[in-house]
Amino acid sequence: MAATRRLQKELNDIRQSGLKSFRDIQVDESNILTWQGLIVPDNPPYNKGAFRIEINFPAEYPFKPPKISFKTKIYHPNIDEKGQVCLPIISAENWKPATKTDQVIQALVALVNDPEPEHPLRAELAEEFLKDRKKFTKNAEEFTKKHSEKRPTD
Amino acid sequence: MTETVPALTTPISLSTYHQLSLTVESANIKNSGLFKPNPYLQVIIDDKISRRTEVIKSTLHPKWKEDLTVLVTPQSQLLFRLADYHSFRKDNVIGEKRVNLLKVLLYCNGKCDNVELIIDLMKTVSQENSSTVSGEVKAAELVVLLDGLRVDPSVLSQSREILGESTNSSGPLNDGVRARIRIRNNESAMRSIVRSQNLRPPPGPPPLSNGTLQHGGPSGTSGVSGAMSVSVAGGAAAAVDGGAGPSHAEPEPAASGLPVVYANPAEEPLPAGWEMRYDVYGRRYYVDHNTRSTSWERPQPLPPGWEVRRDARGRVYYVDHNTRTTTWQRPDTERLARFQHWRGERRHVVAQGNQRFLYPHPQPPHQPDSDHDLNATGSSGVAGTSNAVVPAAVAAAGAGAVAAPAAAGSAPAPDDSLGALPAGWERRVQPDGRVYYVNHKNRTTQWEDPRTQGQEMSALEEALPPGWEIRFTEEGTRYFVDHNTRTTTFQDPRPGAPKGPQGAYGVPRAYERSFRWKLSQFRYLCQSNALPSHIKITLSRQSLFEDSYHQIMRLPAYELRRRLYIIFRGEEGLDYGGVSREWFFLLSHEVLNPMYCLFEYANKNNYSLQINPASYVNPDHLLYFKFIGRFIAMALYHGRFIYSGFTMPFYKRMLNKKLTMKDIESIDPEFYNSLVWIKDNNIDECGLEMWFSVDFEVLGQVIHHELKPSGDKERVTETNKEQYLQLVTQWRMTRGIEEQTSAFLDGFNEVVPLEWLKYFDERELELMLCGMQEVDVDDWQRNTIYRHYTRTSKQVLWFWQFVRQMDNEKRARLLQFVTGTCRVPVGGFAELMGSNGPQRFCIEKVGKDTWLPRSHTCFNRLDLPPYKSYEQLCEKLNFAIEETEGFGQE
Repeated sequence: MAATRRLQKELNDIRQSGLKSFRDIQVDESNILTWQGLIVPDNPPYNKGAFRIEINFPAEYPFKPPKISFKTKIYHPNIDEKGQVCLPIISAENWKPATKTDQVIQALVALVNDPEPEHPLRAELAEEFLKDRKKFTKNAEEFTKKHSEKRPTD
Repeated sequence: MTETVPALTTPISLSTYHQLSLTVESANIKNSGLFKPNPYLQVIIDDKISRRTEVIKSTLHPKWKEDLTVLVTPQSQLLFRLADYHSFRKDNVIGEKRVNLLKVLLYCNGKCDNVELIIDLMKTVSQENSSTVSGEVKAAELVVLLDGLRVDPSVLSQSREILGESTNSSGPLNDGVRARIRIRNNESAMRSIVRSQNLRPPPGPPPLSNGTLQHGGPSGTSGVSGAMSVSVAGGAAAAVDGGAGPSHAEPEPAASGLPVVYANPAEEPLPAGWEMRYDVYGRRYYVDHNTRSTSWERPQPLPPGWEVRRDARGRVYYVDHNTRTTTWQRPDTERLARFQHWRGERRHVVAQGNQRFLYPHPQPPHQPDSDHDLNATGSSGVAGTSNAVVPAAVAAAGAGAVAAPAAAGSAPAPDDSLGALPAGWERRVQPDGRVYYVNHKNRTTQWEDPRTQGQEMSALEEALPPGWEIRFTEEGTRYFVDHNTRTTTFQDPRPGAPKGPQGAYGVPRAYERSFRWKLSQFRYLCQSNALPSHIKITLSRQSLFEDSYHQIMRLPAYELRRRLYIIFRGEEGLDYGGVSREWFFLLSHEVLNPMYCLFEYANKNNYSLQINPASYVNPDHLLYFKFIGRFIAMALYHGRFIYSGFTMPFYKRMLNKKLTMKDIESIDPEFYNSLVWIKDNNIDECGLEMWFSVDFEVLGQVIHHELKPSGDKERVTETNKEQYLQLVTQWRMTRGIEEQTSAFLDGFNEVVPLEWLKYFDERELELMLCGMQEVDVDDWQRNTIYRHYTRTSKQVLWFWQFVRQMDNEKRARLLQFVTGTCRVPVGGFAELMGSNGPQRFCIEKVGKDTWLPRSHTCFNRLDLPPYKSYEQLCEKLNFAIEETEGFGQE
């Protein structure tokens, strides 16, 4: 497969660099087009848990960007109930074949840590985030405790 | 389950394979720890084939209700293994039990109809934890239902010897397995009644098939059970049981490293006869035992009123009793939604057709040049000659056959510099010495040399000023090099250029370039090759596509040039043109029926069609593309319009023009942007890891392609990337549709020689096929947006002044330049679509006043530089829309 070599290299690089905020990367050796991993945010209220994401690469990668979805429920203005997330770096207009997956992941982690209520996928959460930060934080914290995965201990 | 599993009546032995429907219902697990398990059941048949259910999270009482259809012999050993799923380590076996199917069959006298088995699953425990001598404890109880397997009792009698024991048919099966026959509930009894009613002959044959063969729908069904042939219908991604097809052969679940499964308990149960499996990569796929096909997508149950059938050739199709139609593809919500949308267009189709127009034809004769042969007024004699010649050539060739050039009467071509004539063409000389050309393929004659038809010949042109040179771009567009000033231009430098010199046809070049003139050339060829009398095509509106297909393909292609006489069955009305106009419009819309899967809209842009690479699911697709090629050629030949046009790259392909990177933009802007990025940046340092090979996916299958021999081993670098981009461009524009395109062009060329199109460029071809329509400039202006301009910017005001002064042809061309098509949506400019959904006409301020306007067809955007005067704006815009390519897009 044409995309395999590129993805194999990216995967090795990411594994070697030991990203603190993206852990437990699981890739089926025989299907490198699907990755899973844990997003481990630093900022409250998401620093109480970890969030599993799936990255799906198209067969035409890197001509076409990957798609990211959350497998763990998260209370976040930029991530909807289905786990869809709107990330500019992998949008059709901004995508460049030289963009690396670790840049994409870092952009995603940054978005999780610091929501962008200006471009919300869930308008009601964005409104809460802007108007009643305390309530938002409390809700998000509870939601995180209830639904998120355990953070890696090491 | 029973209604889809055919009962076996063929002679069998103990080693014959049968289908067994195995429903895994539920289990009760003994509590043995702190955490509840995530149980799933694995069934292993004869230690070879393995199937598993979905994982149910955290429970001691899992309920699956999952149907696994398995292939077994009467003496198969079924191992039921209940396991606890772990994401990150090896799964724990909770308990297992081996069941001898023969014993079950003996118990139920060979008829496994709704037999419920309650099985004790045992776990081996280490001695120190257990006091039992055997080392096995009962860990769980499993309920499964066996159905659909019948074995002749006489065969079973042999088996008693094999078992070497006398088995009491009503006694216990063996340790820990209990069986009973469950009485069917009312619902499934009802369903079987409904089904038997449905077994009447289908209301119509499958839509895209070879006719009457298909009428015996149900008879095909019974013949299937024994054969192991693999059908490719229904979007099959992988073949069942050892067929060729997918890149991965017989999928078996990996013994270790089970795939990560996110079981969705909300998922509906699979439809009857379907089974979920995992391939060697741990990817989930679905097997349809009814059709012996597989799919990556989870099947949705057939919508109400739908039914699966098999035709006489064993191919599966789907019957929609609601509309009394049939289709090859399994209907799902998306397909049905597209179908609804397509059906919704129908009522606009005829109204749209009545709004289209082109210059009236037959053309009012004009006289380009009195001493030139090729004018319409002088053509009566010529046409007569042609008609006299053609039948003679045809008679010699014999019906339908492609004639080899006859020795008599043919003259050797003196002008060898042009290379050989296209295949099937011959050069001949009239008694008076005049040369003409015969196209044996489709029995036409013409004066012009097909090799140079439609091309301008520079030999006839006036000399250029000193220091000037004519060159051609890669795409064949002419431009001029001024060596004096080291500049280039598309503008002819000769004084009074557009009016003065005469082109190849002896008329002023400006006129020669006009669409009207080209059209009259084309019309002349059509008229001079017309055949006498007419052909009748009788159709019913309900089966428009099938009827048209059979009648058009039944006739020799040249007959299709006779006058058409269309009759809609049961309708009065003589076809003096109106009926056939309607037929062309309706049928061209019918071709788009998403159920046929032949064409698709390019890139969500709702107007232009391209060949659907997935069309191969239709077993006869190449015949249909040939038919559509003939039909489109007929539209041009008879001067009729079609509902919806093709993509610009498709027209270019018809014209045998080279496709460029820019062409990709209109069909796949994302891909195009990536190519441009590679072109514009130094790629050596960015770790692209690209090689001369590419992949794409069609119907869930990844297709790999090496761009050149050993392309997998050659890395793309800054030095060879130009070649790479060229190869990728060619591949992107042709992948998965080469055969279909050839079939289309073959069909087209039989009716209208492709050489006849050479007068035109791709945009003119679209105008000819789709016609023009009145453009509502007020609506256009109302629904236009601006970037870096405002409604009142002077360039914007000039632009609209310019548009209002244009005629319809120019407006259509301006629209084509910016939006990629000359057609306006049914709902007006407010409904203009771009590549990512609704996208209004947009004018953006870009560049300097020395620049030409540019366009981005996928965003309906015109880049209009801030010109200094109205005259300058007119000149630049005129130039941009007259020239088809080569500037403005670079």
